Amino acid sequence: MTKRHGISPVLPTSALLWLLIAFGLLLLPQLDRLPIWLSVSCVALAGWRWLVQLGIIRLPGRILRIAIMVALIAFYVLGARGQFSVETASSFFVLAVGMKWLETRTTRDVYVLFFILCYLAAVNFLFQQGILWALINFIGISLLLISLQVLNAPDIPNSVATSWRRLGGLLLKTLPVVVLLFIFFPRLSPLWSVPLVSGQARTGISDSMEPGSISDLAQSSERAFRVTFGGMLPEYRDRYWRGLILDRFENERWEQADKAMAGRPGRISSDGGIGDLREDEYDVLLEPTYQRWAFALDNSSPVSANVTGEPDGTFVFDRPADTSIRYRMEREENPSQRSNEQTLSQADQYRYLQLPREGNPRARDYARKLLTEYQEPLDYAQALMARFRSQPYFYTLRPPAMPEDSVDALLFDVKRGFCAHYASATAFMLRAAGIPSRIVIGYQGGSPGNNDEYLIIRQYDAHAWVELWSPDRGWVRLDPTAAIAPQRIESGLRDAVAEEGSFLENEWISPSRYGDVALVRWLTLQADSINYEWQRWVVGYQGQTQMNLMSRLPGNFSLRDLGYLSAGLFGGSLLVAGLWTSWRQRRRVPNDPLERLMVRWRRLLEARGGDVTSSDTPITLARKAADQMPAQGSRHAVFARAVNNHYYGSAPLSRRDWLRLKRLLSSLTR
Amino acid sequence: MAGIFRRRWRRWVNRRIPRSDSQTFSQRNVFILPTGAGAVFCFLLLVMLLTGINYQNSLIYLLTFLLGAIFVAAMHQTHRNLVGLRLTLINTGEGFPGTDIEFRLRATSDHSDAVAIHITPEDGDVESFTVQKGELVEVCLSAQGTSRGPVSAGDLRVETRFPFGLLTAWSWMRPVREGLCYPRAIAPPDIPGGGEEGEQSSGTAASSDLSNMNIRPWRQGDLTQRVLWKRFARTGEMVIADWEGDAADPEWLDFDSFPGVDKELRLSYLAALVEQRDQLGAPYGLRLPGSRIEPDASRLHRAHCLRALGRHGFGSPAAESVLPGDLLGQSGRFDRAADSMSHQHD
Repeated sequence: MTKRHGISPVLPTSALLWLLIAFGLLLLPQLDRLPIWLSVSCVALAGWRWLVQLGIIRLPGRILRIAIMVALIAFYVLGARGQFSVETASSFFVLAVGMKWLETRTTRDVYVLFFILCYLAAVNFLFQQGILWALINFIGISLLLISLQVLNAPDIPNSVATSWRRLGGLLLKTLPVVVLLFIFFPRLSPLWSVPLVSGQARTGISDSMEPGSISDLAQSSERAFRVTFGGMLPEYRDRYWRGLILDRFENERWEQADKAMAGRPGRISSDGGIGDLREDEYDVLLEPTYQRWAFALDNSSPVSANVTGEPDGTFVFDRPADTSIRYRMEREENPSQRSNEQTLSQADQYRYLQLPREGNPRARDYARKLLTEYQEPLDYAQALMARFRSQPYFYTLRPPAMPEDSVDALLFDVKRGFCAHYASATAFMLRAAGIPSRIVIGYQGGSPGNNDEYLIIRQYDAHAWVELWSPDRGWVRLDPTAAIAPQRIESGLRDAVAEEGSFLENEWISPSRYGDVALVRWLTLQADSINYEWQRWVVGYQGQTQMNLMSRLPGNFSLRDLGYLSAGLFGGSLLVAGLWTSWRQRRRVPNDPLERLMVRWRRLLEARGGDVTSSDTPITLARKAADQMPAQGSRHAVFARAVNNHYYGSAPLSRRDWLRLKRLLSSLTR
Repeated sequence: MAGIFRRRWRRWVNRRIPRSDSQTFSQRNVFILPTGAGAVFCFLLLVMLLTGINYQNSLIYLLTFLLGAIFVAAMHQTHRNLVGLRLTLINTGEGFPGTDIEFRLRATSDHSDAVAIHITPEDGDVESFTVQKGELVEVCLSAQGTSRGPVSAGDLRVETRFPFGLLTAWSWMRPVREGLCYPRAIAPPDIPGGGEEGEQSSGTAASSDLSNMNIRPWRQGDLTQRVLWKRFARTGEMVIADWEGDAADPEWLDFDSFPGVDKELRLSYLAALVEQRDQLGAPYGLRLPGSRIEPDASRLHRAHCLRALGRHGFGSPAAESVLPGDLLGQSGRFDRAADSMSHQHD
């Protein structure tokens, strides 16, 4: 008994083609995180398979195939270096698909590829959740389904077009159920925790600052995060987004002394707070930074449970932000109430006064000299700012290199630098004068999104400034950039470096670069707005958001109720589909008009006592009829010939012929 | 254990799907289950759901629900692909053992296309076809004839996995009519000299002894082989030799002419002789216990004789068999004659 039908030695070319295209599409979201050799070999292996299909080359033999596999896996293992994360697993996935192309011979192999690629789409969603990426993934899945249809029915004409039509119909029919399931399926809490990525540096600020590190960022228009405010947008000059604090100056660079941030990552929590934003609340949607710090305005405190405050006034997540993450903060109206710790502990004194033993002698001398004039920390700071303001210091994205004694060089020789340089010099001068101070890294500014509903903060808004400790007022912000280039603080980097023309000079295709063209600005704002809503309401639809929505619906559903509801939805839709089919079947009438006549004819003969069987051809029927009703025999013969002509002859019946036959049949009935 | 269940299941199915030459598939008789790939797909959906839960990823939820819904919709689609298909057995074939015996089916589908339908006979190759809505497709199945007698198409498993191959909807068609396998043609050992029948045939082959013949003028419809061309050359008259009603005719192939030989072997000998006579184009008649076929010489006659040999001892066919040359008005008469003869025999 041969049951393994459908397994043909050669796969239908069309099915393979769609599979390959789907593979290409689903690979796209992975490209930026895959090692180049891996992407290249995947494309090469898929290309190989395609050339085999075209009959140009042959599939490799067993030995060559195994050799290729061993080599690729060896490369992979070397590259992964024993780290395990979802990211390494996903690149192994991609590798597996690539290698599978070399042994895609039978239908079964196509199914294996189908399964792997479906899961690859899911993995893609872990890393890229923008609406465009989602579209690409869904299109990839559709192509996979097209490929399966073509595979299962390769011989029908126009199979691709009909497959698309069929798939479209299926999607339309299932859409309501999918949407309802999406809304009502209970969002359970995570079960276990596996790191998504194995901690590589990405774009975005890092946990150390060398001269120049932020000016690199200023060349990127990538989005860092978006914020919606419950109340009014704060003034531009007040948009200081504190991220992390650098307190240790060593070898001309600032870093974090205490890096106790490592450790087992917590579970992913995308619950970013629920309900409408109150007047003093704001909601941040952070793009993946792969770091744990969260960005917040001065005097904020966390509202959503996925951020916690640190003693130094910054905020961290439970785990690195390896997907986009939403959190909610609250601004305190009265900042004076916040700092109840009016004294700095001994350890902190030591920490915030740390300086290397030597280096930058001229700056140290100048600090000593300035200190004799201004003993009060705030006065001292003001004097320093006054110097920045009065002397020809320049704010530039193209500062010269200052490899040694960078503070000296900046303050007394070069006088050209970016925010990081000035912040570094200011903090050095403060510490040299015995004033506890620290560098704050974060973002400053942000441009309003569509209709001023939210703020978009981009990488070029990255900024560094200084905070100093005043015994009276606690930590006070001091931004040397405000003294040198007030436009940077008032309206952003574009205006600050307008004369220099260095704004996004390497990003030719970035829409931000052409932000002064009205149409481009309008389009980018619209696109961003759609994407933002998508991220907030579709991507961010998680546990608390769901419960919040449910609490607004009548009935007050619990998580368990939602489970029942989803099961009911699923079962209900099955039931409806079943009933629909049976209803359709009830009212079955032949669609072919001639067949309807045939049915009538047969019934007529049966009524006259004819021995009619299903296998009777029209001619046989006519003969039988002639036996029974000799008078009408010739008319029956005419009818039979017409039927035969229609089905087997050259010309099918026209409507007029059909009407004539119908009349003929009526005459026979009489 | 599994065998018991299988038998029980088949019994239940057989009750549900009565034997019939025409089968319309409907909800009552179509079964549906996931294929192996479908089972793996369900497992994959589960894994994806777990991934979505664990990484709190709404888009993975969305993808999982979408694929799940498509799976359910595919169930509907696969089922509907088969439901509404009508298969009618229009012709059953005949042949010698070892040859393929064909079963011709006509497939129509009323309200939706029936795409990529596979028919698997119990022993035979899969046939795949697609019927567009309102179209008519003929499908040929073949079964190997192994031994003389009626050949059943068996239970035909009609199956489809369209559109995604994740589900399989299937049913059975259990045709009543049977094909026929002729006896294996085995040349009798004593041709041409041995048996009584052989002597007779050699006597006629010389065609000198015209005294036993009825000579009558040629009529339309008479075979050209039977015209006495020598006489035509001599006299210009077209006359033919008519053996009808002549009991002592040497051209009779007789079941009783092989005394002591096994029944099946006798039939085999007769089959070989029929083939031989047919090759020669000489008229012959066939005498079997309880029935006889008047002498004639044509393809139709040959088929008629071979059919009588094949069916000998098996009783009447379940339904009237339609010859390929059905449109020749005679065949129906012949068939009916054959049937009545075998009835007599019973």
